[in-house]
Amino acid sequence: MKVGRIEKIFLYNEGAPEELNIEQIAEYLRKKLGKVQVRVRGNPFAFCPEKSSGYARKLASIKIQDASRTIASKNEPLYGEIEYEKRRILGKKRSFGILYDGFHLHKIFNEILPREERSLEFVHILFTSRLFATWDDGDKRYHLRTSVYGIPSIISTTGLVEAPAKPGEYYLLKQHYQRLKKDVTELKDRFKGRFIDYEDKRLTKIVKGYAMQAVLNSLTGDPFCEDKGCRLYNAHWQDELIFAQLESKYEFCGWHRSILDSFRRK
Amino acid sequence: MEKFSPVGEKDVTRAIVTEFARQFEEYVESDCIIIGAGPSGLMAGRNLAKAGKKVLIVERNNYLGGGFWIGGYLMNKVTVRRPAERVLDELGIPYKEVSAGLLVADGPHACSKLIASACDSGVKFANMTAFDDLVLKEDARVCGAVINWTPISALPREITCVDPVAIESEIMIDATGHDAQVVKKLEERGLIKTKGFGAMWVERSEDLVVEHTGEVHPGLIVTGMAVSTTYGLPRMGPTFGAMLLSGEVAADVALEKLG
Repeated sequence: MKVGRIEKIFLYNEGAPEELNIEQIAEYLRKKLGKVQVRVRGNPFAFCPEKSSGYARKLASIKIQDASRTIASKNEPLYGEIEYEKRRILGKKRSFGILYDGFHLHKIFNEILPREERSLEFVHILFTSRLFATWDDGDKRYHLRTSVYGIPSIISTTGLVEAPAKPGEYYLLKQHYQRLKKDVTELKDRFKGRFIDYEDKRLTKIVKGYAMQAVLNSLTGDPFCEDKGCRLYNAHWQDELIFAQLESKYEFCGWHRSILDSFRRK
Repeated sequence: MEKFSPVGEKDVTRAIVTEFARQFEEYVESDCIIIGAGPSGLMAGRNLAKAGKKVLIVERNNYLGGGFWIGGYLMNKVTVRRPAERVLDELGIPYKEVSAGLLVADGPHACSKLIASACDSGVKFANMTAFDDLVLKEDARVCGAVINWTPISALPREITCVDPVAIESEIMIDATGHDAQVVKKLEERGLIKTKGFGAMWVERSEDLVVEHTGEVHPGLIVTGMAVSTTYGLPRMGPTFGAMLLSGEVAADVALEKLG
């Protein structure tokens, strides 16, 4: 199979949580990809600080209020929403919980990258705690995502917690707790280890696999693999995610190993 | 046996009327009017009054404290997450840690301490008083509230021609909870468009409520659950940390505006 060319990989930190060690991810990519330069660049908005107000307005206008309705094309944000986004852009706050339209979010992040680096030879991987969802015309609703791949590829640490489904019994109990207005976070102890949580020590290790999905997307045009034991598996359940990223006996399936080998030999 | 002073009925009435009228007259104009005496409104009022500002809290019920008396499911234990225990310590409210970062206190104890602290700081209250409308001046700046007795709203309009009255302040704070009554009045005039609250997401909603607390329109600060309704943030469960901290932020923003 003919694989693409990668000149440089840039990693960005857009409000990712402290437990995500981006330097370790860079080191992992260097190890897996051989001679490719991998650079950690920090906050992507640092490229254009003078435009932070404009981007704050754009981000505030792509918030999803209702998962069963696409966002209005002229969603006028409130002053307070723009101010919140400004603080977020400047890295003054890391709080999260807002849901954004993934398609529009990707467009914004694409705009802030240096124009001369917006091509397939440059892999831009952006780690963020923003949660996003993409609209599905099939069932007419938004679906949470862990990542979107392209220029740049965006990996959401909040998405890793919230998007892949937790065990079925968790949701049944959660419903029960909510009816009783009991604290749902108590449930987490009962299911400890069975899903990725906030402040999870396993986060960096897991995200390495998602960073490789972004790389494979640039190399082959397809970030995913159908093999449940391969780190490129597109997990829809937390147990699948944990198996593919942490428990499988091999990192990559034979096919993807051979792609990576041939890339390193180039 | 101790004996009560010999005071006539007319003296009692005169004392009530005189003192009420004196305070009402004084607070027709204040630095800050807060609508809603729930935890965020009380907290904001307390901190503003502590800083020497003249604060009036308008509450539609006879009782103060809003939902802070009880937690979920009508059970009178209130929960607070770290770091909001700082406020509990400050107010001298006893609590215990039931799991990492989750604290529980007695609702009546917590609520009464907060009310007492607001009173001790110098906050004055107009309870049984309903917020009716806004006073808007140049550039649609919020400058006060139109208020009326709460029972008036329960009677047929045809037989209760009781006009409301207006009171003024430099800053107003909407602490009316999910109703966001003050912000809604701006919305009725087309001056703002609220988003309505989103789905419940307890873990994240508290941070966001505190983060979004601030001036939503010239002269109007929004705090507590009204923030959630205004900005369409995820709904919160029965945990009060964000209400207390949001009240603190609202006071800080108001102090900055008041200079």
